[in-house]
Amino acid sequence: MTKNLPEELLVKNLITQEQFAKVKPIVSGKIISLFYELRTLLYLGVMLFTAGAGILIYKNIGELGHVAAILSPTALMIGCFWYVYRTGPAYSNEIVKGPTPYFDYVLLLASLLFVSIQGYLQFQYAILDDNLGTSTLITALLFFYLAYRYDHTGLLSLGITSFVSFWGVSVSPVKWYSGSFFEQANLHVIAMILGVALSVASIFLHHRSVKKHFTFTYLNFSLLMFFCAAVAGLFIDGGIYGIYILLIYGGCAFSYYAARLSRSFLFLLYAFIAAYIATTFFLVVTLQIYNSEYLWFWYSIFSCGGFVYFIIRFKNHFRQPS
Amino acid sequence: MKCAYNEDSLYRLEAIKEAKRWEKGTFISKDQLTAIVEEYKVNLYHPNLMIRLLLFVATALGLSGVTGLFGTILFSGASRNLICTVCILYGAGTLLVLEKVMLKNNHFKSGVTEAIMYYACGFLICGIGGLTDFDLIALTTWTCVIVFSLAAIRYLDLLMTAAALLSLAYGLFYHLYEMGGIGQRLIPFVFIIVFAAGFLMFRKLEQKKSLLIWTNNLMVAESLSLLLAYAGGNYFVVRELSVNLMSLQIEEGGDVPFAYIFYALTLLIPCLYLYFGIKKKDILLIRVSLFVFAFSAFTFKYYFSMGTPEITLTLAGAIVFGIALAVMNYLKIMRKGFTRENLLSEKWAATNIQSFVISQTLGGNQAPATQDTPGGGRFGGGGSAEDF
Repeated sequence: MTKNLPEELLVKNLITQEQFAKVKPIVSGKIISLFYELRTLLYLGVMLFTAGAGILIYKNIGELGHVAAILSPTALMIGCFWYVYRTGPAYSNEIVKGPTPYFDYVLLLASLLFVSIQGYLQFQYAILDDNLGTSTLITALLFFYLAYRYDHTGLLSLGITSFVSFWGVSVSPVKWYSGSFFEQANLHVIAMILGVALSVASIFLHHRSVKKHFTFTYLNFSLLMFFCAAVAGLFIDGGIYGIYILLIYGGCAFSYYAARLSRSFLFLLYAFIAAYIATTFFLVVTLQIYNSEYLWFWYSIFSCGGFVYFIIRFKNHFRQPS
Repeated sequence: MKCAYNEDSLYRLEAIKEAKRWEKGTFISKDQLTAIVEEYKVNLYHPNLMIRLLLFVATALGLSGVTGLFGTILFSGASRNLICTVCILYGAGTLLVLEKVMLKNNHFKSGVTEAIMYYACGFLICGIGGLTDFDLIALTTWTCVIVFSLAAIRYLDLLMTAAALLSLAYGLFYHLYEMGGIGQRLIPFVFIIVFAAGFLMFRKLEQKKSLLIWTNNLMVAESLSLLLAYAGGNYFVVRELSVNLMSLQIEEGGDVPFAYIFYALTLLIPCLYLYFGIKKKDILLIRVSLFVFAFSAFTFKYYFSMGTPEITLTLAGAIVFGIALAVMNYLKIMRKGFTRENLLSEKWAATNIQSFVISQTLGGNQAPATQDTPGGGRFGGGGSAEDF
């Protein structure tokens, strides 16, 4: 649709001749970037390879070939870590660009191989037999270290997920429907505390200007965890629902702050859904609005209509700062 | 059918979006962007993706309340025909509200508009289909095709475009299937011919200046046509559909009729897409070709399995990684207009999304394994392996 925009802007003197010469071949499709395609392939390769290697090691445990099955991934992992160590850029609080476009993926490959090998050692030699948790924590710490040292958001999110799984919480919105979100009793309380702790830590780091681009990942995980846990708590501890409702409203206020801080309105979406559930829960318990169909329908029309009106009325507030 | 929006406004909106991408790619300065935004100022209400989603969810919830209210007031024991007629009228009325209230207030794909539109289309289709108790599948399907395409054209909606094309494909399949005998045999070839022709037609339309505002819709239609044409020739699709729907019995050592044609097509079509993608420097074709290559690999693996999925996985991973590395090294300098560098960012390609995908597809999110499954859950990627 905007194929002729460069010419138009040039005529209007909004871009220079030099900029026109740079932009024109890209817009017209003379130059094609394979950036995302190649990255997707690299990622796919790492995923398939580590999945295969993981099963390969696991299946060969106790058999003659298992020494070979463990030695080759180990060698590969050491090689990858060596490459990362040798070519890796110096640490910085800012975004660091890897020395090669595939640097990030080599690091990811090495880290995932580490998890497979660690799992093997644990199973074979029962080093950490009763300490499955400890090994999860070690993995998490390694991921955190590598994420900060080499500026890798993917490893950061892996680090966060294994850190919270050390506490028994499985953070996977993809799997929430399987009902295994909270397996143990009172896990929702732990999840809420973890959510608060992680977001406080990330805000602290953000204001110290340490890896500001990590803030989104932290907040995303912690808010998701907090809201899911609080909503679950609402239904589990029905007796003290008031506390959970207040907690959810507090979380919403924080979400608004977080949305503006990280310039992502995704958090407002979480907040809206959680607050809507909480408010509806409150009205159901106190006013018993479900007793009358009319009341119930009017409620959903006016609450949602009012919300939509609110967003549009204050649209300037919800504009992405560019 | 005319587009519901002012063409000039849409162009301005698109120009601002494009300029923002240039600024992100540091082709122009921030001041220049501000000047361009000022020059192309437009008063359409088109919020960012998250706000759109938020508005969409809220509107959909609110509309469900409206439906409920109408339902309880109007129908306590009404006949089916009456209900269906009211549904159609109600759908049409909703569209009128969309046009007169939302569009008049300069909403353009604001989340509210989409919710109202899908809602109205749903009522129209259910109403028309319901009149015949959904007995006439052909009628319902073609109603879908018409309603979806009209909505796609008038409101430039991409989802509706895809829905229209898919219902068209279903209609085609249904009629050939009902013919029986030779009709059923011809389904794969008809699909390949129709959708290959469709792709070429959409391509032609994309070049037309008067259809410029539908560029994105046409691109969706092109990709889907390519995929459907491929699906028509894919061995896996042909075989499974023949067995399940046409009750074809495949004996031990036997195969579907013309099996070799389908083997060849499964292999050839992705190569063809890739070849033309590279030759014509067409990123859409290249992307689709990568996708169908993966599906072809799956197809062959599915029928010629050596019984060692883990070795296949490891090897496939190594090969894919190796190819990507080799291409990256090859494109260290720009060759034939291809580069490995990131020129203009795409809106869906934020690194944050990528990191989320990593954490969701590669282990790490399992809770510590219990004693019943020792070690099993501890392997990174072990979770994703279930899919293979």
